[in-house]
Amino acid sequence: MSRYGLKTIAFAAMHVVGALLATAAGAQDYPVKPITLIVPWPAGGSTDISMRAIADSASKVLGQPIVIDNKAGGGGTVGPATMAAAAKPDGYTIAQIPITVFRLPLMQEVSWDPAKDFSYIIHLTGYTFGVTTNAESQFKSWKDVVEFAKANPGKVTYATPGTGTSLHIGMEQIAAMSGIKLTQVPFKGGAETNAAVLGQHTMLQADSTGWRPLVDAGKLRLLMVWTGARSPNYPDVPTLKELGYPMIYDSPFGIAGPKGMDPKIVAKLHDAFKKAVEDPAVIATLAKYDMVPNYKNTEDYKKFVVEVTESERKVIDTLGLAKK
Amino acid sequence: MDTLANVAHGFGVALTGINLLYCFIGVFIGTLVGVLPGIGPISAMSLLLPVTLSGTPESGIIMMAGIYYGSMYGGSTTSILVNIPGEAASVVTCIDGHQMAKRGRAGPALGISAFGSFIAGTFALVALMLVAPRLAGIAIAFGPAEYFSLMVLGLVVLTFLTQGSMPKALLMACIGVVLGLIGLDSITAQPRLTFGRMELIDGIGLVPVVMGLFGVAEVLLNTEQAIKRDIINAKITQLLPNKADWQASAGPVARGTLLGFLLGILPGGGAVVASFASYALEKRLSKTPERFGHGAIEGVAGPESANNAAAGGAFIPLMTLGIPPNVVMALLLGAFVIHGLQPGPLLITQNPGLFWGIVASMYIGNVMLLILNLPMIGMWVQLLKLPYNILFPLIILFTILGVYCSSNNVFDVYVMIAFGIIGYFMRKLGYEPAPLVLAFVLGPMLENNLRKSLILSQGDLWTFVQRPISAACLALAMVLLIAPLLPALRKKRELVALDEGA
Amino acid sequence: MNNPSNVKLRLSNSELWGGLIGLALGGFVTWSGLKLKLGTINDPASGYVLFYTGILMCVFATSIIVSAITEGGPTLASRWENVRWSKPLLVIACLIAFSFALEPLGFLLSSIPLMLLLLRLIDPVRWTLAIPIAVLVPSGMWWVLKRLLLIQLPSGLFGIG
Repeated sequence: MSRYGLKTIAFAAMHVVGALLATAAGAQDYPVKPITLIVPWPAGGSTDISMRAIADSASKVLGQPIVIDNKAGGGGTVGPATMAAAAKPDGYTIAQIPITVFRLPLMQEVSWDPAKDFSYIIHLTGYTFGVTTNAESQFKSWKDVVEFAKANPGKVTYATPGTGTSLHIGMEQIAAMSGIKLTQVPFKGGAETNAAVLGQHTMLQADSTGWRPLVDAGKLRLLMVWTGARSPNYPDVPTLKELGYPMIYDSPFGIAGPKGMDPKIVAKLHDAFKKAVEDPAVIATLAKYDMVPNYKNTEDYKKFVVEVTESERKVIDTLGLAKK
Repeated sequence: MDTLANVAHGFGVALTGINLLYCFIGVFIGTLVGVLPGIGPISAMSLLLPVTLSGTPESGIIMMAGIYYGSMYGGSTTSILVNIPGEAASVVTCIDGHQMAKRGRAGPALGISAFGSFIAGTFALVALMLVAPRLAGIAIAFGPAEYFSLMVLGLVVLTFLTQGSMPKALLMACIGVVLGLIGLDSITAQPRLTFGRMELIDGIGLVPVVMGLFGVAEVLLNTEQAIKRDIINAKITQLLPNKADWQASAGPVARGTLLGFLLGILPGGGAVVASFASYALEKRLSKTPERFGHGAIEGVAGPESANNAAAGGAFIPLMTLGIPPNVVMALLLGAFVIHGLQPGPLLITQNPGLFWGIVASMYIGNVMLLILNLPMIGMWVQLLKLPYNILFPLIILFTILGVYCSSNNVFDVYVMIAFGIIGYFMRKLGYEPAPLVLAFVLGPMLENNLRKSLILSQGDLWTFVQRPISAACLALAMVLLIAPLLPALRKKRELVALDEGA
Repeated sequence: MNNPSNVKLRLSNSELWGGLIGLALGGFVTWSGLKLKLGTINDPASGYVLFYTGILMCVFATSIIVSAITEGGPTLASRWENVRWSKPLLVIACLIAFSFALEPLGFLLSSIPLMLLLLRLIDPVRWTLAIPIAVLVPSGMWWVLKRLLLIQLPSGLFGIG
């Protein structure tokens, strides 16, 4: 029920089991207490789990636990926006920065400015996206969806992890290219969209690879993936390009803190997280979700933010979703 | 039978020395964390996640699970002793539990909540073993429309049964919803009702609200009564529930367990709704509903059982579908994945040793918890022997520290003090805090699901009636709302509604 | 004052005031909902639920007011009859003072006086007991939190704590 991950009472517990704990606080200045990493998605999705694996590895380098705080909503912007508004730039609160942080300000009034309100730390990885449907659904392939949608405009519903996410924008682009109308239902993340499509509350699910165990178990059917090449795990599933949509979506992401962080702390965090994405255990966990490390250092990440904002602006304008 | 062989295998895994040790550490930490208001199992589990990685997956997950259900045991202690609920699900325990303590019956109240928890926890595990895969469907049968209707029902159930004045209760529920919506909109990320304050972007915390409305307001009410304050020092006659208590509690424990287990399966507010619904149900079924709110043991036994059974039910969607119904379960999911396991429909068949080992360890953990908690009752009861003029400043200090530690944020202390003062005046004017708190928890889910169902149905309100589960919830809510207007039922309700004090 | 025909319109009726406060809050919430935009019924925006909740609040508050006018209700004064109304007010005053002192003075310098005031003002505890409790309990808690649990309580401008 708690909003805050950082409940330091657990330290009492850690002293009780102190002997089990290899990661006691060292003598360095930073970090001297647990670091909160805001993951703006509900617990249990692919981002959440991969960030937990990365955080776990990075915490070993830093010598302090990294506590994951799931603050979901707004397509993954509620968490970073909260951090930008309320957290101190002391390095003890950082957040995963999904691409919506750059995209949503182009679409509507928001409380943050992606160019000014964050201290970007490191770029980490990207997703594999896919569209699934319930195994019992009438849709055997994407073609069936398009045909049905042509006959029943707006009747095809799809669950996304939020308005303005790459899934939402991507689906709208696909719909525009096919000349069909689909209805987006914004959830908060993978765990919720899984339940929605499993329970047939929505006809389709557009999300990152959190659907994998359900697809493997035959409960969901994967209709397409949004990567450049076919996924080695699902060689029979076509890519966007093969279906005639010349696009690739991978929504790369990294982490950042509130604006005004000490560059030394940024560097420390950067080094720890860089080691984490090089850790074979982390790479293995990422691979479970078809994610590949996509490392960029602090400077490159800052440049990337500018580039991605520009390219997003074009897409948003074309789709007519830009804010008035 | 196949299951029996599996159970035996599970106990084989759970009874190894190292797993027993991890299990004990887990429930011990869980108990500690549960007793302190404002400090939930989530933080303990997050911080200890790295520790669990050093052992086998079984050991790590057994320990995490132990923290979770261990904290469920401890949660009621401060509710009963000093009227401070540590989490939403314990709010309802305050109503009668604290009244029992004021009448010198803190021992039986703590005792029945420990035994009730034990019984409910054990039942939930048996059910988990026998019917888990079949019940998985419940978790996904609830879409946005069903959740919306369930939330409406939850709010109506509460207002119908705990209040003298219906409009007052409904007004409080609305205020709760509004307070719950403060902060960034969960769909569009727009700030709402934040008055430009940075601190409000994140919304108002549950912990400061409940600690203020219950803990601080209770202190303020008590200080105005010179005589009443002695009641808390009434002679403590017994430490454990007696035969009459057991007779009164048997039914509530059984019903609370069933209700809690079924609602616990639902992702979202299952446990909270279950504890409130169980209280309402017991009050409705009771031949003497006027005793509720004045220390009825049924009002403690039912919700506490429901609370713990829900903790067991919550494992079903995680183990069978890989869908975590709450943050704690999601942490467990994270633990599974980091250990290289993928919870989902294939987990039980692919890793039978793990699944059954965890379930068996939870049996053992429940027994450990009972043994750990019963001797502590005597210790807790001693605390109430302090004179109130010494006790109440300590309670205030304790709430301040609890709130501060839960968020490391001074602003939350202000929020708590403000809600303490508001709560005091509310209670003076006959407005109850419980509907507000429930609505505060359910409000955001209510809003989010309403908006999603309207998008799904493209603005067609019939969707709430056309879907059977949703229609059933709404019909029940309607009946409860209309019932008091019908003359035949009116008498019963007036009887139910007699008591206003909680 | 006890004239029955006058009962219904008394301004000291506590129910009436409760209802009026509810109505004002409801009005504010409705207005905030409108300001946040309602959206359409097939795509409700941020203010949608706030707007309707605000309207519901107004409805319930009105019904409280109506019954306060038609049926009367206890006066404000009667709610505080036979109780030591000054005591909770004292506690409230202490708590408000405490919240102003907490950040500038830090936890120790603000909570020790708070404890002392609460112990002495309500039902005076004798000094020989009040002082040790007021000093030892907060500093003990502070020590446990700081040393064992590594929680830094606010230390204030003087850096004490």
